[in-house]
Amino acid sequence: MAKHNIPEVKADLENTTGIWGMAIDQDLCTGCQACVAACAMENNIAFVGETDAGYGRSLHWLRIEHAFEGEFPEVQTSGFQPVLCQQCGNAPCEPVCPVFASVHSQAQDLNLQVYNRCVGTRYCANNCPYVARVFNMRDYDRPEPLSNQLNPDVTVRRRGIMEKCTFCIQRIHKVEDQAKSEGREVLDGEMQPACAQACPADAIIFGRLDDPESRVSKLAKTGRGSQLFEDLGTLPRVTYLKEEKDYGRLG
Amino acid sequence: MTEQLSRRDFLKLVGTGAASAAVLTGCGPASRYVTREPYTKMPEYTYNGQSTYYATTCRECAAGCGLVVRTMQGRAIKVEGNKYHPVNLGKTCARGQATLHSLYNPDRIQEPSSHVRGDRDFSTTDWDTATGIVAEALKNPAETAFLLGLAPDHLFDLVSDLCKAIGAPAPLRYGALSLFEARTTLGEASRIVFGKPDLLFFDLGNADVTFSFGANFLETWISPVAYTRGFAQMRRGTNRRGYLVQFEARMSQTAMKADEWAAILPGTEELVAAALGKLVAEQKFGSAPALFEAVDVAQAADAAGLPLETLERYATILAQAQNPLVIPGGAALGQSNGLEIAQVILSLNALLGNLGKPGGVYHSPASPLTNSYRRPASIKEISALIEKLNSGKIKTLIVHGVNPVFELPTSLGFEAALAKVPTVISLASFPDETAILADYVFPDHTGLESWGYQQVSAGTGQTLLSGAQPVVAPYYNTKSTTDVLLAAAAVAGGKAAAALPFKDEIEFIQGKLAGLVGAEGGFFNAADMPSFWAEFQQFGGWWKNDPSLGTPSAASALEKKLTPAAAQPEGDGEFHLLVFPSPILAEAGANKPWLQETPDPTTTVMWNSWLEMNPVTAEELGLTDDDVVRVSSAFGEVEVSVYKVPAIRPEVVAIPFGQGHTAYGRYAENRGANPGKLLGAQINAAGDLAFAGVKVKIEKTGKKRPLSRLEGRTRLEAAENKG
Repeated sequence: MAKHNIPEVKADLENTTGIWGMAIDQDLCTGCQACVAACAMENNIAFVGETDAGYGRSLHWLRIEHAFEGEFPEVQTSGFQPVLCQQCGNAPCEPVCPVFASVHSQAQDLNLQVYNRCVGTRYCANNCPYVARVFNMRDYDRPEPLSNQLNPDVTVRRRGIMEKCTFCIQRIHKVEDQAKSEGREVLDGEMQPACAQACPADAIIFGRLDDPESRVSKLAKTGRGSQLFEDLGTLPRVTYLKEEKDYGRLG
Repeated sequence: MTEQLSRRDFLKLVGTGAASAAVLTGCGPASRYVTREPYTKMPEYTYNGQSTYYATTCRECAAGCGLVVRTMQGRAIKVEGNKYHPVNLGKTCARGQATLHSLYNPDRIQEPSSHVRGDRDFSTTDWDTATGIVAEALKNPAETAFLLGLAPDHLFDLVSDLCKAIGAPAPLRYGALSLFEARTTLGEASRIVFGKPDLLFFDLGNADVTFSFGANFLETWISPVAYTRGFAQMRRGTNRRGYLVQFEARMSQTAMKADEWAAILPGTEELVAAALGKLVAEQKFGSAPALFEAVDVAQAADAAGLPLETLERYATILAQAQNPLVIPGGAALGQSNGLEIAQVILSLNALLGNLGKPGGVYHSPASPLTNSYRRPASIKEISALIEKLNSGKIKTLIVHGVNPVFELPTSLGFEAALAKVPTVISLASFPDETAILADYVFPDHTGLESWGYQQVSAGTGQTLLSGAQPVVAPYYNTKSTTDVLLAAAAVAGGKAAAALPFKDEIEFIQGKLAGLVGAEGGFFNAADMPSFWAEFQQFGGWWKNDPSLGTPSAASALEKKLTPAAAQPEGDGEFHLLVFPSPILAEAGANKPWLQETPDPTTTVMWNSWLEMNPVTAEELGLTDDDVVRVSSAFGEVEVSVYKVPAIRPEVVAIPFGQGHTAYGRYAENRGANPGKLLGAQINAAGDLAFAGVKVKIEKTGKKRPLSRLEGRTRLEAAENKG
């Protein structure tokens, strides 16, 4: 019988910090959906229409969650929480893919979705605790001339393909190429995914987690930080900074 | 190059592609326009596989955020914020992101057309005929009226100049957002209290305690991206995290970000603000000024539905703050006593001593072109126009940048008045309700294909003129309205031609900008017009480096006597109706498919309208989620699905404005309900509509229409995961 060495693999992973990461300050996030729209515009995400959206087939790579708690007048909100692919270091979506469409990038430490391998089993989506993956149930119509705005750096997906947030890998490559051509390292803050770039409150901070001096590393280490379902051991690369309702309270 | 910007700095900027608009210095008129070439023959500034970036101004609302649009081979690919632009510093909102769906909308009007009113089939005409028709209108100036939108400003300036020269009535400008922000009321209150009409600049970023009366500044209010930045700065706080209390009956997206939500009954804002004033004055100075003396604090708290202790606690928070700020928002001012509410709130700021201080209230910076505050028309002025249309005194109505049939409350009777005007010319880019009821549609370019400028009325402390340039060549056979008017003026001859002696739109804009060439303190400084124009395009506008905010003075505001009262609601229904502009769609976003599919921030509903109702109320009425109800006021009725939400007062219901179109393209038509049908005609002392003071009845219809919402999905799946 084959010997399983999962604990060692996990231990190895836990020693890594990851390469690219994100910190989302929930105290600043206003839930304005600018990131949602920016993501759709950058990544050629199709719109599905009212009926399919009602069935939960909308293709948002990024959604903003919140919940109301309590009854009037004692109503509280949980705070806006943008949820996207957490780019797990130990991703549950990867081992279940029978065709290696959901694979881990060694170079960038990201979860990749290889569209031309994907056969649409949807195992990955079922195994994702963050409901971050969305599936193209149909070929969605993009009437002319709307296709003029398609971003040539991003593949257009069709029916039967699973898709998800890529941390705007096309932008990562562009920034890395630029830095390489100038013979330097990528600067902190130089790489911005579409969501972070649009965010009016500057609540989304993106950068290198393997650089302890980067803004995102420093934020991720503050006491306010936590990760979604940390206990599952998925090693998410997105850190949420909690709301601080009582800080600075007067009276 | 210029003194301000060395050649090396300039090349660096272009190299990083941050704001590398095409530099067209010294080119002839032909190269002023961007051309879309076949892939085999690129314009010289376009490289295969390389993007070109153009700086321009967003036209999805009147805030005037700067954009940098990424284009590739003549196509606009992605909208990004202009990081140098003082209003948005590189950021955008969802509507700004989706402005590409205006440009590439499949339902655009593609050619100048005429048609039978109400008919959806357009018959094509040509631009010479169109020019002739507009010229005819200009020959009868007394019988011609212009109704314009809140953007762009260069067109408003041109039409104002034209009307003045030929003796036509001055153009009116309107937009649903100006109604929901009660801009006229704020401007008028500023005139009364501070002696100068102004939209004012509220320095949210430096305030440590902010009380907002229904100002939805994180959604659509005046300059949402700028105020969101201010909010973030306030939260980060230099010394301590800023504290926000939102006073409104429904927990809006802005209230969700507040530390405390004070759910006061609509119409009691004046009582609450005056009571706060009295309590704060007593704590800080020992006695209340004349303005706040008469209010009975206990009665005010009772009327508003707030416990007295809570109101007293708020007053203590405000009194102990170092940099307190109180903001009057649209829903508070859209009451029968809206002007008094605005005055009390502005006077409360005067009492707190924050006028002209960090974290306080300032006068907006001086406008770069004119010093007058150019406010949109109030509903009173719009009503006067409608009366004129009805009387047959107006033979030609020219509409641009606004969709009055949809954006005005139905009770004003604009649609019926339109039928009495012999010639209606719409300059819309989309087949909206007004264009369908017009005789002619002479489509303007969309914002990303247009030249222009926008004077920024609020949102930044710097004097700023935001510049717009085409980022792509016009996609269809549309023509800039400015050019149509210039050509028509030339045809009409006489005073019209003399008033507009410009060869084209660019010459007109350059004429307006002439005063800024060589002006002191600018972000860039150019000695002559060609250099100025090149940098104006490259950076997306002209602005001063240093803030030039004015300090308001409220010498005698606190000495007046006032008997605060609750507003008088209109209608005999049992529920207060709160109509709020949809944070995502606002006034004109409904035809953009990605905005339709962007979930509402509070309810996550997509592609439709809803009625927000407290679960307690719903239970009493025997209603649940997705039940269709008939909401009726004295003025009209709509049918809409119920959305139960605990974060609204039980005696209040709310409907977002933005859906319910009967025209406006495939993504907007026959979708949701237009709450404009429910609004009354009661106006406040400043002439704004008391839109937040309408009462409605609610009846069951027995029908059910499920709302598509994002939360259902995640909630359901989370529940399944648990099981």
